Amino acid sequence: MTILKLEDVDVRMGAQQVLRGITLDVGEKAVVTVIGSNGVGKTTLMRTISGIYRCTAGSITFLDQPITNLKSHRIVRQGLVQAPEGRMIFGPMTVRENLVLGAISRPAAEVSRQLEHVLSLFPLLGDRLRQKAGSLSGGEQQMLCIGRALMAKPRLLLLDEPSLGLAPLMVQSIFDLIGEIRSQGTAILLVEQNARAALRISDYAYVMEGGRIVLEGPADELSADDRVQSAYLGGKAH
Amino acid sequence: MLDIYFVQQIINGLSIGLVYALMAIGFTLIFGVLNVVNFAHGEVYTVGAFVGLLLITWVAPPLLVVVLAALAVGAVTGVGLERIAFKPFRRFRDEASLRSRAMREATLLSSLAASIVAREVMTLVFGAHMQTIPQAYLLQRPIAIGPLSITNGDVVIFGASLAMLAALQFMLFRTRIGLSIRAVSNSPMGARFVGIDTDRAIIATFAIGSMLGAAAGILVGLYDGTITPQMGFAPGIKAFVAMVMGGLSSIPGAVICALILGVAESVTTDFLASGWKDLVAYAFLIVTLVFFPQGIFGVGRERA
Ligand SMILES: Nc1ncnc2c1ncn2[C@@H]1O[C@H](COP(=O)(O)OP(=O)(O)OP(=O)(O)O)[C@@H](O)[C@H]1O
Ligand SMILES: [Mg+2]
Repeated sequence: MTILKLEDVDVRMGAQQVLRGITLDVGEKAVVTVIGSNGVGKTTLMRTISGIYRCTAGSITFLDQPITNLKSHRIVRQGLVQAPEGRMIFGPMTVRENLVLGAISRPAAEVSRQLEHVLSLFPLLGDRLRQKAGSLSGGEQQMLCIGRALMAKPRLLLLDEPSLGLAPLMVQSIFDLIGEIRSQGTAILLVEQNARAALRISDYAYVMEGGRIVLEGPADELSADDRVQSAYLGGKAH
Repeated sequence: MLDIYFVQQIINGLSIGLVYALMAIGFTLIFGVLNVVNFAHGEVYTVGAFVGLLLITWVAPPLLVVVLAALAVGAVTGVGLERIAFKPFRRFRDEASLRSRAMREATLLSSLAASIVAREVMTLVFGAHMQTIPQAYLLQRPIAIGPLSITNGDVVIFGASLAMLAALQFMLFRTRIGLSIRAVSNSPMGARFVGIDTDRAIIATFAIGSMLGAAAGILVGLYDGTITPQMGFAPGIKAFVAMVMGGLSSIPGAVICALILGVAESVTTDFLASGWKDLVAYAFLIVTLVFFPQGIFGVGRERA
């Protein structure tokens, strides 16, 4: 069953057409990756799915409901949540406040149970609940950003460059975490510069160039593709 | 030995300062979420005063009811103001649109227009002359505390302001809508990603800020004994100065600076004719802008 479906989505920013005819599916409990070099429109795609930008054409369907150009908070309420590029945590607020805000789309009675669940995934944040979010390290902030998104009990989690700017060890734990989130039944749409690691944990992948999808396929097939090898994986790996 | 007269001036100044603080909080909250100055805030204060006066002349309820009514009408006024003068100019898509000068300048002018219209309408309806408060409601009864003589107005303003500040603090730190307002102030984009209805948070901000402003208006009306359609202008300027001194988006900063301003005004009336006391605020503003462009309590903001 597909839980997210984009059909022929166009997005224009002023005079510039940033996305052209994007068609994309995410299946239940799947990890799907979008790879592409800088400026091809990956973040624009993610923000459009979350309702931050408007589609100029095409349609988006989530859990069989049309969500095209719905307001962003309504999309979150339906269970489509994003950990955005640049993290966008609330720096002057405490870690606990950040997490509680993550559950703003849920009934208030659920917050403490959800908080417990998220802290079991990120025990490190549990020790820092009263600390200002802005004082966390980069890796911790990324954990907080993902934890905050999980507070909303997503059916589909969008991750835009979660490993950006992190040390290799931290990158590894982020990718481990993605596996764990998926195993708990949440589908994931991932945008990554680190194409090799992303493809390794994905079921399916799309390659973007200049606002279009130019290639797609099961992740292992794409990893073996010559064009992908040379452009995104730095030549033959093995 | 402290001069009794001087101590009384300070108490007076603190009362006035608390009123400026209530108004400055409205400016600060609204600046926090939208990064724009609400020029109609002074008129919300005037509306609060007139609503109180109308209620007093028609119904003559207890003082507490008068203040609660001003709070309620303040909330409604704030929401209406946001819908009329702010919302139509908001194109809230991403970081670029949030920094947009055009949006800021448009709402600056539309709120100024709203303030002029509101003032003129009140002048048409009530006349430009002073309305006097019935004796029974005047907050000018002297209370002797040892050698000091304060008024019941000082007590009411202290009590009401501190209660409202405490309620505000509770709201901002302990309730969902308060957390949402702080989140939108800190990162409007982050707020949208977590699923905050930013429009609702902005409306709530206007409601809360305007409640405090309207309450300040009626309290001062009863304290001074007169109400005019122009009465919001001067305190609006003072509160604006307190906000700038406090660093634009810091509530504690704005409150402390408002108190400093109130006391400074009150004390300088010893040296200056009282007609000159408004100069104090302008002097503070100039000193702040020249020497502390970030405000005295300003910390670098994410969206400067
Ligand atoms: N608000 C905007 N207004 C105008 N152009 C924009 C806007 N946002 C993005 N663009 C343009 O759209 C294109 C795609 O940007 P986008 O941020 O989606 O790329 P990206 O693939 O996420 O890049 P990166 O890998 O650097 O994150 C860029 O050319 C960018 O300049
Ligand atoms: Mg990007």
